[in-house]
Amino acid sequence: MIACQNIRKSYRTGHGRREVLKGISLTVRKGERVALLGRNGAGKSTLIKQIGGVELPDSGKIVRKMTCSWPIGFNGGFQGSLTGFDNARFIARIYGRSYAEMRGFVEDFTELGGALKQPVKTYSSGMRARLAFALSLAIEFDCYLIDEVILVGDQNFQRKCHHELFEKRSDRAMIIASHDMNTILGTCNRGVVISDGFATVHDDLSEAVDAYSRL
Amino acid sequence: MSVLLQSWAIQVRVIKALMLRELSTRFGRENIGFLWVMAEPLLFAVLVGILWRSMKGPFEFGVDIIAFVVTGYIPLVLFRSSLSRAMNSFTANGSLMYHRQIKVLDLLLVRFLIELVGHMMAYLFIAVVLGALGNFPWPYDFGFLLLGWAYYSLFSFAVCLVVAPLSEASEVLEKFLPVTAYLMVPFSGAFFVVSSLSPEAAAIVLYSPPVHGMEMMRYGVFGPSIDPQYDYLYPLQFSLPCMVLGLLLCRTIRRRLVIE
Repeated sequence: MIACQNIRKSYRTGHGRREVLKGISLTVRKGERVALLGRNGAGKSTLIKQIGGVELPDSGKIVRKMTCSWPIGFNGGFQGSLTGFDNARFIARIYGRSYAEMRGFVEDFTELGGALKQPVKTYSSGMRARLAFALSLAIEFDCYLIDEVILVGDQNFQRKCHHELFEKRSDRAMIIASHDMNTILGTCNRGVVISDGFATVHDDLSEAVDAYSRL
Repeated sequence: MSVLLQSWAIQVRVIKALMLRELSTRFGRENIGFLWVMAEPLLFAVLVGILWRSMKGPFEFGVDIIAFVVTGYIPLVLFRSSLSRAMNSFTANGSLMYHRQIKVLDLLLVRFLIELVGHMMAYLFIAVVLGALGNFPWPYDFGFLLLGWAYYSLFSFAVCLVVAPLSEASEVLEKFLPVTAYLMVPFSGAFFVVSSLSPEAAAIVLYSPPVHGMEMMRYGVFGPSIDPQYDYLYPLQFSLPCMVLGLLLCRTIRRRLVIE
């Protein structure tokens, strides 16, 4: 279970502060797939960053009773000047996994071949998405935080992701921020609509999608 | 207890991984790699040593002048470069904050340890070379040499702990800190022995914690002829509260850190 209790987060702007999250509470249990819906700038990524512990909320509490991935997105989690393999090695080390296994999985899943020996900063966003997914799948988390990236990548990658994430790991929890209603409807079972810094939790996904489309 | 051991194991793992990562991003794997960390302090120490030698003759305070400059300069360069490595190190390593087991403190510790090991290696290297040439004595007391290093390093790290979060907090401070580091030079104890100063001046420089470490190091190398002046307690009375303040600041700034 991961529980957010009254999360508030504000950022400093030129003068004063802008409050992005104004008290969000949300509980995600094992195996639940929660869609985060909201317009651009509503605070979806911000909420994911707080849940992942990348940034710390101004107030409120996040209780993590299961292992939780880092937010899987285009940037973050990588060191651009290091190669794909070096990033994999680093991740394997800090999570205490064997690099040999990790390397095999990453090669296999990303199909990036020689590009894995190039610095990550030379990658396209699709390549980054592949690497990010491969690394987090190799570690095995109870809960995956996915920020928009699922749409990136070609057909083949989307199929692979689908297979590895939603079929082989169907028992895992997920929090997915996305604007693609097809993905959301196909994979999630609950929806949270974020607007004006508040979250409305809908246990019925189609209600959430309705609410989102009315925004 | 087992939770504590587990957390300890994670921190050790993280620090090792960060260390290797820092080494490969900073120095690469080509040519001499990590040994580059020695290059800067070596060059500084040798060039300034030669400069002093040509300006002031072969001896200073009764000891070989090059050995005197080197023993003073390398720790000073350690202080300066660990400070500059600490500045902005949180934002520079923002992508690491994606992994919850990595703490900002780990980043600071790793960067400092790399500087420390590099500068100690440079010190050892130059001492061996100068020793072979007859310009560096066999250390009088290794224990004091190491104790001096420990005091000096503790002070440097304590200052890093304060400077790193401050440099993130304010741009004005970020611009001013390098200047302050430069003003530290006369108070580092690198270019004099306290016993050669007037009593008034000596009383003033002894307020500066690194001077005590420096005097211990020099005593360890050159022996009682330089009449070292140091206190065991005073540098700790400065460094330890400074570290506590640094930890508090790190904690506060981490909460405010915005990561892309």
